[in-house]
Amino acid sequence: MKGKSLETERNLVWLWWIVPALAVYLVFMAWPLFNSLRLSFYTGTGFKLDNFIGFDNYVRLFAGGEESTRFLGAFKNTLFFFCVHMLVQNVLGLAFALLLARKTIRGKPFFRTVIFIPATLAIVVTGFLWKLILNPQWGPLNIILGEVGLGDWALPWLGESHLALFVISLVSSWQWVGIPTMIFLAAIQGINDDYFEAAEIDGARPSQVLWRIKLPLLRPIIGVVAILTFTGNFNAFDVVFAMAGPNGPPAYSTDILGTYFYRTGIAGQHPVGIPDMGLGAAVSTITFLVLLAGVVIMQALSREPRGDRR
Amino acid sequence: MKITRMVSRIAAVALFLAAGSLFGQNLTLGSWRTDDVAKISNIIAAFNKTYPNIKVKFDPTNPPDYNATLRLQLESGNGPDLFYARSYATGAELFKAGFELDLTSLPAIKSNFTPSAVSAWTTPDGKVFAMPLGAVSHGIYYNKDIFAKYGIAVPKTWEALIAAADKLKKAGVTPFANGVADQWDINEVVMMSILPSAVGGSEGRLAYESGKRPFNDAAIVGAFQQIKDLAPYLPKGFEALTYNDSAALFALGKAAMYFDGSWTVPQFIDQAKGIQWSVFSTPPAKGKKPVVEFHPDSAIAINPASKNIEAAKTFLTWLSGPQGAKAIGDNLIGVFPMSKNAVKLDNEYANTFLSFNTGAGQDARFVWPKLMVGKPSGYDLLQNNTIAVLKGEITPKAAADAFAAGLAQWYKP
Amino acid sequence: MKQIRPRFRAADLPGYVLLGFWTFVVLVPLWVMVVNSFKPSLDIFRDPFGLPPTVSVEGYQSLVTGSSFLTYFLNSLMITTVSIVGVLLLASTAAYGLVSWNSRASRYLLLVFLAGMMIPIRIASINLLSLVKDLGLMDSLWGLFPIYAAMGLPMGVFVLTEFIRSVPKEILNAARIDGAGSVRIYIQVIVPLIRPALATVAIFNLVNLWNDLWFPLILIRSDDQRTLMLGVTRLFGQYQTDWNKVLAVLTSASVPIILLYLFLSKQFIKGLTAGAVKE
Repeated sequence: MKGKSLETERNLVWLWWIVPALAVYLVFMAWPLFNSLRLSFYTGTGFKLDNFIGFDNYVRLFAGGEESTRFLGAFKNTLFFFCVHMLVQNVLGLAFALLLARKTIRGKPFFRTVIFIPATLAIVVTGFLWKLILNPQWGPLNIILGEVGLGDWALPWLGESHLALFVISLVSSWQWVGIPTMIFLAAIQGINDDYFEAAEIDGARPSQVLWRIKLPLLRPIIGVVAILTFTGNFNAFDVVFAMAGPNGPPAYSTDILGTYFYRTGIAGQHPVGIPDMGLGAAVSTITFLVLLAGVVIMQALSREPRGDRR
Repeated sequence: MKITRMVSRIAAVALFLAAGSLFGQNLTLGSWRTDDVAKISNIIAAFNKTYPNIKVKFDPTNPPDYNATLRLQLESGNGPDLFYARSYATGAELFKAGFELDLTSLPAIKSNFTPSAVSAWTTPDGKVFAMPLGAVSHGIYYNKDIFAKYGIAVPKTWEALIAAADKLKKAGVTPFANGVADQWDINEVVMMSILPSAVGGSEGRLAYESGKRPFNDAAIVGAFQQIKDLAPYLPKGFEALTYNDSAALFALGKAAMYFDGSWTVPQFIDQAKGIQWSVFSTPPAKGKKPVVEFHPDSAIAINPASKNIEAAKTFLTWLSGPQGAKAIGDNLIGVFPMSKNAVKLDNEYANTFLSFNTGAGQDARFVWPKLMVGKPSGYDLLQNNTIAVLKGEITPKAAADAFAAGLAQWYKP
Repeated sequence: MKQIRPRFRAADLPGYVLLGFWTFVVLVPLWVMVVNSFKPSLDIFRDPFGLPPTVSVEGYQSLVTGSSFLTYFLNSLMITTVSIVGVLLLASTAAYGLVSWNSRASRYLLLVFLAGMMIPIRIASINLLSLVKDLGLMDSLWGLFPIYAAMGLPMGVFVLTEFIRSVPKEILNAARIDGAGSVRIYIQVIVPLIRPALATVAIFNLVNLWNDLWFPLILIRSDDQRTLMLGVTRLFGQYQTDWNKVLAVLTSASVPIILLYLFLSKQFIKGLTAGAVKE
């Protein structure tokens, strides 16, 4: 009865389709978040924050001293963590996708499955397994290295300040490489085959096809993957927590924003455990702002040359 | 007559029902001791022989998550009825926030404990916030077979210990199983078992806390030097060896000695079946008096928001009485009951640990009483500098200086 | 032009080497996990790779008899399924509304949803706790439901709007001319057309929600309400030095989700392939 003709594109009726999701989203995500960010201007004991202190929490994070050393260290480590993912996880993902898109490669469903399986594992599982494999005394990796005559390379992987974060980033890339692979693969398969075939007929070398045709066409999707990696990595916590613990050992070299936030804002310092929730909220607010800025910049970069297509 | 009988019958039924509703209660007991599930159920079973209507459910959280989840649950009114409380300032903090019932007037506290046993769970103004459960001791586990094979006697001095380690290393045996990947163990069971003897026990500690001695004096440098002495004798790749790895190395007979706490005794009884082992007290450096790291470790607090406070009190009272102390001693091997009712222990290893206290001083873990509540905490400072010394990144002197400088940022005697 | 049967080409050799190497790197840890779960406790340190000399199912036995593993498993299955259905329903209706409603407001609303993909949700824990408490859902599996639904929405709305936008206008117009209302169009046209996209959203959420530990950790205490990950983590602490038990726990927690993935993966791949970069 409610005249179908009224359901034009500008009709407010459409709002009713959105309201249920919006309500759940606002009540259980946006509002609690907003409320928590507000706490960054307060201090108190435990989770009771009732003392307004303006920007003091932010000052502590930037003004030098113990807190600031830890925070900036964690920030730097997170950036490094992100770079390794971009260079290893995403480059590998792109390479896998290009391979799996080749018509001549056999066993594609098998490889596709293998590449994605780690993404289905719980972080408890990944962390435990890799710690076992990297164990300096009986870990399979060092046993293999010893057997192929590379005994000198058998290092205490997670115990060296200059190696630990890199190794953890590699493990995390191992786990998540399936996701960029699938996204890239989907994108490549979405590109019209005619482009490549025309180029091949014109006698272009495979490397030329890759650099001149495939990658430029993939540019927007590379942007999407970069953004997903960026948001994922700046929110990362579990993998470091599972493999190194909440303190980011050795010597805070694996301490990322996620673990630093957990220590200050949620758990408190072992073994005392008095959380500084206001400071934690300040850390989160900064994380959120960095994410927002980063996403805006990346989106601009990945769109720029072709102009707005919409 | 008839009426009186009827009345008394009704009264009996009413009493029965009242008793039922009074005692048909459920309690949850929060804890960080995930590996004690089976043992605590035995203790609860013993409790239920006397109080069949109070059901206690032991509900441990993994140690790294314990502080965070307990706090969140308490804040949201979802906390357990009873929960393990840490000693000193850590536990007192929850009392200040109103999450621990004041137990000062609980009769069992007065009758079953000496004031010194309760002191670790007493606020500065004399309020008791938890009932002591057990203390733990620390020492060095050793493989008797290996010691016999190389003719090594149990070392009485630090120098003898290092000489023994050197002899073992030259023979191709890994002297110590300890590593630093989990951090807390090198801090709590190695450094803090060296410190009591090095600084002269509790009087020594109090002198630091009151500002009479600087935190980088010769005794502290000496303790860091002892850490440095150990460095060459740790396993290959100790930088990445976890606490559980170390225990496995020792249990498999792949290392001759292992610094650890008394709580590991039951694990080795289970797992180190292939070797003959025992334990000795961490020896003091020559000329120092032996002081054992004997630490008031765990206590149980009552959540004031619990609906079953009376049942909770009943449980604690029983636990500190003769039956409870026996149940703790029998089941939690390696944890020493702190109540006056503590009975003689059956386990030889537990008794060996206890024997360290004869003729030696005792003290809690060095940083626990005062040095953990500021930032950077004395705990982290001691831990990070100990690890840095072990890895050869800094000298013992530099480590002591960094320890003192870090504390100077906030600690006022 | 199209080759029907791919034949081996020398030019693909480096590709096979890379894929083969990766297969090795993925399968070795899984092999270590599975094979050692069947060995007696400390044997893993003697020979981490080899087949067990005698198969010991002790680890699995204690899992079945000594813990509520099955309860945890069913709880996880239930809350994950219900939450995913919730996300799919809410996200697809919202996406349908956002795409159909051609106004500035709808574009802003979309951005509001997308911002959720960047939210470090852990910081909202305390507020969420009191919210769940007010709903009377503390210490209940169902307390997780609204949180999980909210967590899945941003990504769901993002993917599904892209897909619905790519549904040809002619199909919708044809349906409209036939007299179908928006509800019927949603049920009979939109949902069947975006099925692959729904599978994609389902899998992403499946992986995330199945593996979530944080919210069960802070919201749930009772044994009969625990999710698999929470249960596993507790068992993990309890068994930490019983390596075969730990590995049996890990294997039992991983295998079902891998199987589920294998089962859903065809739809998943189709979902990703059908819709991406159709701008």
